[in-house]
Amino acid sequence: MKDDYLWDKTGQPDPEIQKLEEILGTLRYEPRPFVLPRRRNYFPLLAIAASILLAIIAGSIWLRVRSGDEVPPQDAKLESPTPKPLEAPQPPRTGSALNPPLHASNRIHKPRSAPSVVNDEEALAAKEQLMLALRITTEKLSMVHRKTQPNQIKNQHRIG
Amino acid sequence: MYATADMLLTSTQAHAAEQSKEPVIEVMLVRAVLEGDRDSFGRLYDLYAPLVHGILLARVPRAEVADLVQDIFLHAFKKLHTLRDSAAFGPWIAMIARNRAVDFHRRSKETVEINDDLRGSDTHDSKAREILELIRSLPEAYRETLVLRLVEGMTGPEIAARTGLTAASVRVNLHRGMKLLREQLGVMEGL
Repeated sequence: MKDDYLWDKTGQPDPEIQKLEEILGTLRYEPRPFVLPRRRNYFPLLAIAASILLAIIAGSIWLRVRSGDEVPPQDAKLESPTPKPLEAPQPPRTGSALNPPLHASNRIHKPRSAPSVVNDEEALAAKEQLMLALRITTEKLSMVHRKTQPNQIKNQHRIG
Repeated sequence: MYATADMLLTSTQAHAAEQSKEPVIEVMLVRAVLEGDRDSFGRLYDLYAPLVHGILLARVPRAEVADLVQDIFLHAFKKLHTLRDSAAFGPWIAMIARNRAVDFHRRSKETVEINDDLRGSDTHDSKAREILELIRSLPEAYRETLVLRLVEGMTGPEIAARTGLTAASVRVNLHRGMKLLREQLGVMEGL
């Protein structure tokens, strides 16, 4: 049937439709490769950011450890050789024991402990820990990098 | 001349199996793309590029069609996650193509369209463009179906499966559109 040819190209072909198909076929879709935009790879940026962050943390910890090791020279000078005059007995406090007045609490200072061998050991231990943490982070970063590298190559191959 | 209800039913049943295969493939491909397999989108492109090309050819100048096809697929790739039913990829991208054609005409209202005839080419090609112009002058429902059938070489069941239209609608559009085109061609030859 002629109608079937128009519907699903079966049955007796209609010469007029065949001629139209032949003429209009020149306008048919010509396959063109479809190129998807490349996926952005954020790994290098993340790695750089992580490295900078780690360097800042490591630097600040190192500075703190170093400043803890140094003996402030003025501590010795501050102590005057003259004996302090005896203080007069203070009147009993008006505030309760539980809520001392603010000015009193502000004056309480803990005496700074003198540098000792124990501090040096603590600093060394902290330094060791920091180095270990840095080593682990570096290894993890390189592991992640190794894992992502073959994927990139595979994707490039697919796209290319 | 027009198909009877019985004919439509038999035809629908006969092509039911054929039509049901494609959505399975497209569902798999859409899911694969959503899971990160970009190659699967290339297969979807191969499957649906003729459909999008045909829809655009029925509406916009031929010179613009190829670039618009690429744009539409790029847009579809970016917005694929918004597609709720993976089996409806065909109707979804067909709708994007129709909307893009409308946008094209809205934006290029003030620009002067270069007449295809000015470009100069062989007579066979100019005849094709003349007939395409006649098809474009037909009502919208008929022109898309006719272009997909006569230009892209798709069968009625394929058009129905990919556009999401019912087989009955496609069949009616094909027959009525063909009748009108024959009338127009007769008028053209009589001139």
